[in-house]
Amino acid sequence: MGRTPYWNIDLGILIDLFALPMIVIFFYGMYGHWKRIRQGKVRVNLDLSKSAGKIGPVYLYSLLTKGILGTKIYKKIYTGVAHGGLFWGMVVLLLGTILVFLNVLFGLPVFSGGFNHWFMAFALDFAGLAVFGGILFFLVRRLLFPPERLTEPKSRTGFSPIVLLLGVVILTGFVVEGGRIACNGIDNGSFMGNYLSMMFGKGDEWLTLHRYMWWIHGFLALGFLAYIPYSPLVHLLLVPVNAALADPMPGTKMGLIDFSSFEDEESEEMPVLGAAKLADFSRKRLLDYSTCLWCGRCHEVCPAAQTGKPLSPKGVIITLAECLQDGRVEDDSLIDSLTSEALFCCTTCAACMEACPALINQPKTIMKFRQNLVMERSEIPELMGKANSSLELRGHPFFGTGAGPNDWCKDLDVPLFEEGKTEYLLWIGCSVTYEERAQQIAGSMVKILSHAGTSFGILEEFRCTGDPAKQMGNEFQFAELAQQNIEDFSDLGIKKIITMCPHCYNSFTRHYPKLGGNYQVIPHSVFLKSLLKAGRLSLNRETNTICYHDPCYLGRRNAIYDEPRDVVNSMGKLVEMPRNRNESFCCGGGGGNYWAEEVGTRINQVRAEEALGTGADFIATSCPFCLLMLTDGAKKFTEDQKIFDIAELVALQLEER
Amino acid sequence: MKTLIIEMIEPKRLGELVTVSREFCEQPDMVAVGAGQIPGSFGKAYQVADTVAANLVSDLASLILKEGYEIVLLTASTLGSGIAAPLSVKLSAPVVSEVIGIKPDLVVERPLYGGKAVATYKLNKMPAILTIRRKYFEAADLQGFTDSSPLSIAEKKVALIAEKEEKTEGIPLEDAEVIVSGGRGIGAAENFTMLQDVADLLNGAVGASRGAVDEGWVQPTQQVGQTGKIVAPGVYFAIGISGASQHLAGIANAKCVVAINKDEEANIFKRARFGIVSDYKKIVPVLIETLKEEA
Amino acid sequence: MHIVVLAKVVPDYEVPAGDFELTNSRAHSRYKRMMGLYDENAIESGVQLKEKYSASLTIVSYGIKADIQVLRKAVAMGGEKLSLVLGGSDDPNVIAANLKMAVEKLEDVDLILAGQQSADMDRGIVHGMLAEMLGFAFIPQVAKIEQEDGQWKVIQNTESGSSELKFGGKAVLSITSVPENVPRIPVVRSIFAAKKKPVVQLPEIEGDAMPVDELSVDIPKMESVCEFLPTEDDPAETAKILLGRLREERLI
Repeated sequence: MGRTPYWNIDLGILIDLFALPMIVIFFYGMYGHWKRIRQGKVRVNLDLSKSAGKIGPVYLYSLLTKGILGTKIYKKIYTGVAHGGLFWGMVVLLLGTILVFLNVLFGLPVFSGGFNHWFMAFALDFAGLAVFGGILFFLVRRLLFPPERLTEPKSRTGFSPIVLLLGVVILTGFVVEGGRIACNGIDNGSFMGNYLSMMFGKGDEWLTLHRYMWWIHGFLALGFLAYIPYSPLVHLLLVPVNAALADPMPGTKMGLIDFSSFEDEESEEMPVLGAAKLADFSRKRLLDYSTCLWCGRCHEVCPAAQTGKPLSPKGVIITLAECLQDGRVEDDSLIDSLTSEALFCCTTCAACMEACPALINQPKTIMKFRQNLVMERSEIPELMGKANSSLELRGHPFFGTGAGPNDWCKDLDVPLFEEGKTEYLLWIGCSVTYEERAQQIAGSMVKILSHAGTSFGILEEFRCTGDPAKQMGNEFQFAELAQQNIEDFSDLGIKKIITMCPHCYNSFTRHYPKLGGNYQVIPHSVFLKSLLKAGRLSLNRETNTICYHDPCYLGRRNAIYDEPRDVVNSMGKLVEMPRNRNESFCCGGGGGNYWAEEVGTRINQVRAEEALGTGADFIATSCPFCLLMLTDGAKKFTEDQKIFDIAELVALQLEER
Repeated sequence: MKTLIIEMIEPKRLGELVTVSREFCEQPDMVAVGAGQIPGSFGKAYQVADTVAANLVSDLASLILKEGYEIVLLTASTLGSGIAAPLSVKLSAPVVSEVIGIKPDLVVERPLYGGKAVATYKLNKMPAILTIRRKYFEAADLQGFTDSSPLSIAEKKVALIAEKEEKTEGIPLEDAEVIVSGGRGIGAAENFTMLQDVADLLNGAVGASRGAVDEGWVQPTQQVGQTGKIVAPGVYFAIGISGASQHLAGIANAKCVVAINKDEEANIFKRARFGIVSDYKKIVPVLIETLKEEA
Repeated sequence: MHIVVLAKVVPDYEVPAGDFELTNSRAHSRYKRMMGLYDENAIESGVQLKEKYSASLTIVSYGIKADIQVLRKAVAMGGEKLSLVLGGSDDPNVIAANLKMAVEKLEDVDLILAGQQSADMDRGIVHGMLAEMLGFAFIPQVAKIEQEDGQWKVIQNTESGSSELKFGGKAVLSITSVPENVPRIPVVRSIFAAKKKPVVQLPEIEGDAMPVDELSVDIPKMESVCEFLPTEDDPAETAKILLGRLREERLI
């Protein structure tokens, strides 16, 4: 026997009529979101890669995995399962409701046979239970045991009412089902309904209760639907959109700024550099702010927020979200309310965007503000300002360095790059040139390359890639330096570059191509791995334990995790820190913060402690900034020198032979 | 040669100028700027109450012409540099500032390029004006007092409204000729009082490496190094400081680094002029004692 | 109100001692050329005054034509125009006379700011000489400037603290470096605007050189070898030796 829709209900069709205004309210709410997001700048990325699985601006794969399957949310397993139960349960229930409608309208035979048994009865009950379980988890956690990430800097209101509402919808649904079964007899598969019906017993009062509950359930369910766009649950629609539109390349990329309109005397309107108010951001960024759930996963992994600095990525995004909600898109006091102190604390490590289940690009927003502070307002912390000036004046940011440009190679025999003869340019970079500790990396690399018989050479004179300027927000300075480098490289016919610094690597691969500089760039860790593979370098696997620290600009930003580990593994036993690979914790030196007077706990000490805590004999990294920061950080805990670049460890083995 | 010293009544500064004056004459004359008794014995002494350099230039020029002084000595101080250059124009006299060495036949030395080079000059005309860099000449012992006659000021261009004395402990690190710095090796905040004692006895300032600042033992304003103050003292005591390059960058222009460190491998010894491989707790207290005895 | 800031382009003042070398008694030409730090402090002070009192600000320099490119930064920081006297003398008298000529061409100058010393010759006397040549008052080591009742009120740093001075006439102030005048990084639109600001190039006038001969310029030998003092015996002996050696070298 099948179920009869609108059993026990008079004028049940009215609920369908009621659905119409609710749908209108729903779409009006969604239109409100679009109206707010529309206020952003239309930014069309011209060099959009025509990658596979991309239709128009939509990255299908991301949409499917991160957007719909919500893969990132399962990083936290309890929350993930609860969320999965709630979301997928609702999807199944929605499907069931649609099927009921189809049955009513077109007589689709859903209430019969195995389909009724397994789907309409069992699956829907199970889904209802999963949703209810999820609701309970979220309510208990949010109201009774909220973790810090939810409450800092503040919690989002509005979750509990709609989640409660949903709970009532589910409960009334079960009651309606139970009432129906109580009166009509056991429905195989509806285990919840059957169970409840047994509690109800038979009676006329159940018929009345069923009738009332049916209407309440119907109205509330539609009300819930209409309420979604006005509540935090709107993320269930916005996250997939945000995921579909987010560039899946790891790390944040700052596009180029066209400075030519400043050159043009006739030009009336000069573009705003960076962003000071919401209207300066692109629509994608405003979508970011609308999408944010305030879940605080970014806050939890942010090296600044976790060491007592005034910056919280969540804080930034929610301030913008509130500002957008209030319609203050032209309010340029926004940047001041965020404070430049906080904005300059960002190490651009991208841990926040890696953790974000909603695919928000927090670093890009922060960087846009920095660009505005530096290039429009001359606002920059003093030491970063000095580094910037030094970049402008000397082509390197290491003001006050005790090293001359050729000190690092004074005891070495290093060939110069010769056009047409040399294959690889060994790009030294500024920290390796001007910081004594980091100079060892270049020495080691020269030894290794000579040993392996690689055709390499260095530049006679060089300047910084511009990365520190870019990360501090001085895009203009970056462009000047990059253009000069690109000219120098083309004069020498340079095509292949080996870098020792991930920041240089990132600049060359991400930013130089847009300025016309296209090279094959190989980080030294990857190059070492290829030498090992080709048998041009052989290492002994010793009993030492070596812990590897992932530099943000090599790992999270460029997804190079395995090659350095392979190199480490061929010298000793690799051990991992609790936070490794894409969840690695920054050394504290990124984003120009190498030149910062840190407030709060020092990030490098936190990370050095974590590394030393593994008890490894050596701590390896593959970034000179990480090397310098961690070496400094480790001093608090040990007098031994334990931190090395992987090239130093390789060279050490070569020497010992 | 007839020599005139123009200086505040401040025994050390005056003493250094008297030492320099002996290269040129037996007994110099003196214009004392400010109030008080003039220590030491001078041929003639004048005194002017106004301490604003700009107000003194005209009348000093007249005095120098009238008395026929050949050498005019000042310290390279706020007062001295305020007087020397305008005075040289007024007298069409040569002026050499920041003199650090005097040789026979009116040959003087002064540093260039932040002390990275030293230039030697010969003075070809009298009168000549020299401002002397502090701490390069030992201060002469000033015996007795000299009576003065007043020097009147014709025109007051600039009025002095107020003067603010800063306590000696507030010698800015950048200006200190002696800096006693401690690092993580100091071990505890209270041990910095020991460094303060040395600094007080040498009229210097206390600095610190980032390690010590990180530990919260000293104020961040006392941090020396790339991310702190860049200093250029005559003597820099690095006590319990390992000598990270960021720290060395801050003391690149220190003339003499004295390193006291337990670890003989410490990088700081590469930069040091004098090194003592020892626990600082053994050396510093006796250093304080010795300085106290000598004072 | 018209404020002039003097700026000089010098070789990189941060070249580490170990890498420093001379050619023809001057810093090697391989070093990058830039404005001295004190000059930038003076420019920053000037720009702040300009912004506060709606003054006009002119950058005046003495140097070579290639310096214009470097001095654009001064204009970008907030200067309105640049006046450069073309010349290559190192003589303070000659430089001061040429600066005087440049300032007089500007006519209505009220206040002249200069870094307390250039970062090459480190003399700190040219601005004082210029003041006397112009008949302006000269006040060195100025940390703060403001206007009060039509007069200038300045804070002058002294060895023992500071003095507050007040004057009504025209003056040359040498500016010292304080947290308040950390030079700003010019904003991008100013950098572009600076490229179009007027540059007046003036031919050098002949001035009387100061009657002083430069005999030589040398790089003092840096004792890079550390002298380890004996520590085995008596710490008091070590302390005495140390103090003795420091006195010998006139360091304390």
